[in-house]
Amino acid sequence: MTGTLLQVEKIEVVYKRVITAVQGVTLAVPERQIVALLGTNGAGKTTTLRAISGFLGIDDARVTEGRIAFQGEAVENRPPHEIAGRGVVLVPEREKVFPNLTVAENLIAPVPRAASKAEQRRQEEIVFHFFPRLAELRARIGGLLSGGERQMLAIAAALMCRPQLLLIDELSLGLAPVVVGDLARRLIAIRDELGIAILLVEQSAATALEIADYAYVMENGRVVLDGDRARLKGHQDVQEFYLGQSGGTGGERRSYRDVKQYRRSRRWYG
Amino acid sequence: MQLFVNIVVLASIYALIACGYVLIYRVSRVLNLAHGELMMLGAYAVLATASLFSGHPVMALVAAVVLSLVVGVLVYVFLMRKMTGEMVLAAILTTVALGILIRGIVVLVWSAQQQYPAQALGLPNPSLVLPGGGHISMWSAVLVGTNVFVYTALLGFLRFGRWGMRMRAAGQNPLLAAQRGINLHGVYALAWSLSTLTGALAGILMALDSGLTATMPVIGLKAFPAALVGGLDSLVGALVGALIVAAAEVLLIYYVDPLLSDVVPFLVLVAMLIVRPWGLFGTREELDRV
Repeated sequence: MTGTLLQVEKIEVVYKRVITAVQGVTLAVPERQIVALLGTNGAGKTTTLRAISGFLGIDDARVTEGRIAFQGEAVENRPPHEIAGRGVVLVPEREKVFPNLTVAENLIAPVPRAASKAEQRRQEEIVFHFFPRLAELRARIGGLLSGGERQMLAIAAALMCRPQLLLIDELSLGLAPVVVGDLARRLIAIRDELGIAILLVEQSAATALEIADYAYVMENGRVVLDGDRARLKGHQDVQEFYLGQSGGTGGERRSYRDVKQYRRSRRWYG
Repeated sequence: MQLFVNIVVLASIYALIACGYVLIYRVSRVLNLAHGELMMLGAYAVLATASLFSGHPVMALVAAVVLSLVVGVLVYVFLMRKMTGEMVLAAILTTVALGILIRGIVVLVWSAQQQYPAQALGLPNPSLVLPGGGHISMWSAVLVGTNVFVYTALLGFLRFGRWGMRMRAAGQNPLLAAQRGINLHGVYALAWSLSTLTGALAGILMALDSGLTATMPVIGLKAFPAALVGGLDSLVGALVGALIVAAAEVLLIYYVDPLLSDVVPFLVLVAMLIVRPWGLFGTREELDRV
């Protein structure tokens, strides 16, 4: 039985002291596991991720209730560089690389945790082992990379911080399915070889359920469903709403809105 | 020849001041409109340290420079830090208020009379004759040398230094920088301290050369077009901009009318804003692909 790396307990996040974005979200990331956080736009996935990574203070938001514990220590409302120092590193959804720095500079600009020059070089080698393409692009400016290369660089730069928990906001957004599949395989390799846990926020449930060991589904700032991969894949609601498979009741097409309201009121909030 | 010397000296003054604007703008997108006042404060600090370390002019100068560095950090910690996350305009207005405050304090403490820090330190200011027949005062020569040194050091630091790289990174994307473990407050404080340091160097050397009154911020304001012409986020741009503005100013004074002196930098600025609003070397827009 592996221990729990990150424990989020009933957190509530409030923007500008009035707008509640996330309410009573509880989730756990065990060591060496890939956990996915699914949900539609505005479900509160990114806010949850920001709460964990300490991004909130900059947006005038706070965790007003609940607890976020990393390795047993409370980290809610701490500044982002401190949380990064503890080993929780975020790959943001947009603007994930420094556009005017070269690939090599992007990799060394982060502040690694107490790393000497030699350790840093070794870290760089590890990163190039997972992303050999980046070694070829060393001198390229970050702003000139393709979407997939950027995502690679962002993950690689995050790895340079020697994280224990990698938070990835939208792995698949805007990328071709081939690229996503490739990245997903690398994430599994990173998890297996480095023993890093990954919390993955995704709109694409199909992608996430391919690689995640466990998943949470969020709606309107709450977790409405959770379970391991097999359970969610087999779950009827997830199949209908997120995987786009028909419910199989008679075969007639129903309006998405009807389905959603019916399901929401009856089963998820019940 | 004398004309050339004048241009170089004036360009050095503008460039040394302008790099302060650039440093702060580059990392935090804030225009420090109190830069001229902070520069003046550094110059007046020499008067204070001169009486403190009487008989040790070098000590006094070093103390004044260190003092202005501390002032820069204090300004950030107690004033600008509160402004992070607020609108950039709010931060800029804060610097305006700071400038007014400093001007008031300076007049209160040191009066509006002309002061001569060089005399207070007991330092001479001989005129040197250059090989080509031009004259340059000793302190002007020191200023030119300081300017060369400051720019070499800054460019090297930003290019190869770890904290320099972090400053560049933070300037491009503060959120991402913070998440990569870069301490933003550290970076901003560094930018402010470097900026007031270089500003104070300019102020001190100018005051040693030609005396000091409470109208010094005007020169700081005249250096602002130099920074803008070059592009606000480019150090090389500030250097070139300073050269252009200084050349225009010296030549127009010489050939047209000395009264134009205060107007020329802004004429150049207006011309530049019409043709190329982002400056010669400035970033037009972020390189971006979605």
